[in-house]
Amino acid sequence: MTLSKNGEICLVLLVAVLFILPCLMLGLIYEAEPYHMVAGEPVKEAADAAGISVVDMKGTLWNMTGATGGKTYTLTDPAGDTAIIATQAFDSAESRDAAVRLYNAHAPGKGKAVGSMIVIGQYLIYATPQNSPIFAKLVPALQQAAKAQS
Amino acid sequence: MSEAPVVNKKVLGLFALAMINVAAVLSIRNFPSMAVYGWSCIGWYIIGAIVFLIPISLAGAELATGWPEGGGVYAWVKQAFGEKGGFVALFCEWSNNLVWFPTVLSFTASTLAFALTPNLAANPWFMFSVMMIVFWGTTAIAYFGEEASTKLSNVGVILGSIVPSLLIIGLGLWWLGSGQKIVIPHFTLAQTVPTINLSTLPFFATIVLLFAGMEMAGFHALETRNPQRDFPRAMALSAVIIVICTVLATLAIAIVIPASQLNLASGVMQAIQYFFDAAGIAWLVGPMALLITLGGVVNLAAWLIGPAKGLGIVAEEGNMPPLFDRTNKYGAPVAVLLIQALIGSVVSLLYVFLPSVNQAYWILSAMTVELLCIVYILVFAALIKLRYSKPDTPRPFKIPGGMIGVWIVGGLGLFGTILSFIVGLMPPSYFTNWVVYVGSVLLGTFILAVPPLIFLKFKHPGWMKKSAGGEKP
Repeated sequence: MTLSKNGEICLVLLVAVLFILPCLMLGLIYEAEPYHMVAGEPVKEAADAAGISVVDMKGTLWNMTGATGGKTYTLTDPAGDTAIIATQAFDSAESRDAAVRLYNAHAPGKGKAVGSMIVIGQYLIYATPQNSPIFAKLVPALQQAAKAQS
Repeated sequence: MSEAPVVNKKVLGLFALAMINVAAVLSIRNFPSMAVYGWSCIGWYIIGAIVFLIPISLAGAELATGWPEGGGVYAWVKQAFGEKGGFVALFCEWSNNLVWFPTVLSFTASTLAFALTPNLAANPWFMFSVMMIVFWGTTAIAYFGEEASTKLSNVGVILGSIVPSLLIIGLGLWWLGSGQKIVIPHFTLAQTVPTINLSTLPFFATIVLLFAGMEMAGFHALETRNPQRDFPRAMALSAVIIVICTVLATLAIAIVIPASQLNLASGVMQAIQYFFDAAGIAWLVGPMALLITLGGVVNLAAWLIGPAKGLGIVAEEGNMPPLFDRTNKYGAPVAVLLIQALIGSVVSLLYVFLPSVNQAYWILSAMTVELLCIVYILVFAALIKLRYSKPDTPRPFKIPGGMIGVWIVGGLGLFGTILSFIVGLMPPSYFTNWVVYVGSVLLGTFILAVPPLIFLKFKHPGWMKKSAGGEKP
């Protein structure tokens, strides 16, 4: 099969599109979490509702632009799993999204970032270990609470 | 430009080759994330070394001395599995970069922002502008060929990666020596054993690919003065530098900064500010940020130049349309560099300005993992196969232990990379629909790996740069 010069250009463009397409599609499929105020302590409330115990809780302020404070919870479930979940509120969507970018930019080597992070309203919620079953139980409740208050 | 006579100057020696690998692998941005694990980071690093760093260093040394041709992984895998296999391996190494570039670019931009005024990191226009200046600037240096790139690599990796690492290690030693409080429990051997269960298993892929890039020097074989002698030594030298700097600097951070601080603000500059404040040398944070920015640039440059050079070789061999086969008088593959810069710029634009970056980005980084695993699976398989299919090819460096040695090295590498490929498909706990997640990652990986098959489908003799007689066929 032979290609004309225009055909070759089309082939190059096709390859370029192949690269950009997955990035664009993923960006459009996953809706942005709107910036809005979520009241109360969403992690503690979700943990209480899911029957997960809070064994420790500390206030904390991340050294990041726009961070306004949050809490670090040590949680344990009846199965004996433990997770550390930290929340941090941000004063604007820009500073919150910048913190997400910073987190992603610190993925070790060419791997994935350490831990898991989700965005709920003004909060970033960061959990370790990465595939914590406790966090998996809390996420639907956290998302539900965010939707109800948006 | 397109028909300029290309001269591959033999400018690279042992040190320059080693620095190319160090530039590709050693990154200060890894340290705080790893320091969170305290003493058990030692165990994780040992796992990474056993199932990846040592195997890829030995495999790279044997393959690079046996087949010291341009193209790196392309040349090695092609010998074992033919053109298609070699092309796929190389293309996966190149294509994963296009997804990964925004990561290292935004790291560089946010670190520079920290040196100027941290608020700038929240400004997407500042971030994007710096990312583009760094990206296109590095591409411009690559345009001037191996000599210019080598200078950047040699100077940049020392100033931007090794010096900051040594500074962190030195501060850690000072911390210990001055009797300050160590924030992790006292050392016991048991504490170095990492916790491995379903929750932590995905980290296995991260730890394996922490050392990805040890094969990078292989792309520069044509510019190496004495590849048979220098490649194995460069592999050994770079592996030693990387291990010493990585392990000791991570431990230095782990003993000074409480894990809770690292958990919450895992940015390297935030960690270094905490560290330097505690040591009473806060004034050094700004200069350190500039050095680490430079380290980010050389890390980017190593990955930007190596695979692009390999793709240039593939194009020269007529496996891609002549549009890709443009080299300048410095021997730089300008067309590949340009296409790479254009695609990388668009992906970076989406990365910075699409607000739903988190979940989408996670899938993209999973695709990076899968693509890289494909590369290394093919390299380790090639290492084993070539011992059977081309046993008589002279290999100035041979993995010791005969066939058993090769099977141990290749087998460990294959185990590490295949397991990384599998655990790379495990969704994080917040993805509720794992079928969609796995499907997205596999589909994206396939899309980014398949172009070589499209090119080979349309390949025709007119794509050859020159026939054996020196004329276009």
